[in-house]
Amino acid sequence: MQATIDPAEVELLRALPGELRGLYEADDPGDPVHERLFPRAYLDPTQEEAEAEWQQLVHPELLRERLEALELIGSSLERGEPHRGRVRVELSEDETQAWMGVLNDARLALGTRLGVTEDMDYTVLDPDDPQAASYAAYIWLTELQGDLVGTLLG
Amino acid sequence: MSEGSVTRGSAAPVEAPVEVGEPEVVDVTATDKPWIVIVWNDPVNLIVYVCYVLQKLFGYGRNKAMRLTMQVHHEGKAVVSSGTREKAESDVARLHAHGLWATMEHPS
Repeated sequence: MQATIDPAEVELLRALPGELRGLYEADDPGDPVHERLFPRAYLDPTQEEAEAEWQQLVHPELLRERLEALELIGSSLERGEPHRGRVRVELSEDETQAWMGVLNDARLALGTRLGVTEDMDYTVLDPDDPQAASYAAYIWLTELQGDLVGTLLG
Repeated sequence: MSEGSVTRGSAAPVEAPVEVGEPEVVDVTATDKPWIVIVWNDPVNLIVYVCYVLQKLFGYGRNKAMRLTMQVHHEGKAVVSSGTREKAESDVARLHAHGLWATMEHPS
């Protein structure tokens, strides 16, 4: 599929892999963002042993896939070509999936940090709020991901 | 399955009726019940995205995927798959890979 985005958006997207890599590799099990990106499989606290085994089995693979997606989004952005003041990139199927995963993880991380709620009103953002820029980034990521899913679902 | 148009020849062997023995009594215990995989509501994942992931991972049709997604959205959770412990562990891992908040449990 073909993605056409603004040069400013390219810069924002280029920054994502570095930010996410840090979150993925942080060995910080108590951090809500880390817990949201790598949740438990077993809720039942008596299944602690099964949980540990499962984590041991799947975590390296989940981490590897995510790091691979960061590489893919980075390399696809390098191929961007100017098109009427915007940037156009042709994405392979794998790259499209990588964009989807990276955008979603960025939203999960940012949304968890900001403590967003389902009924958050995007229209009343206070520009004086010290987190206004983060909210704006979250909204932008949401719109971009929404466009991407919409295109894939046809 | 679609109806075939094969015409059986008269030489086709006649299948002998299968001997049906006494039904085996199966002791259904908790261990026979399938594990279930639950997707929980969260404030970040988009409804269209959750619906897309359920279609992609489980091959569900759009209607079934959307019904489950709306159940997650309105009721806070939905059972999206079930099966052996191994299948449930694998399904949960795939859901986590796609950023959905999923857990597995064994109904007692």
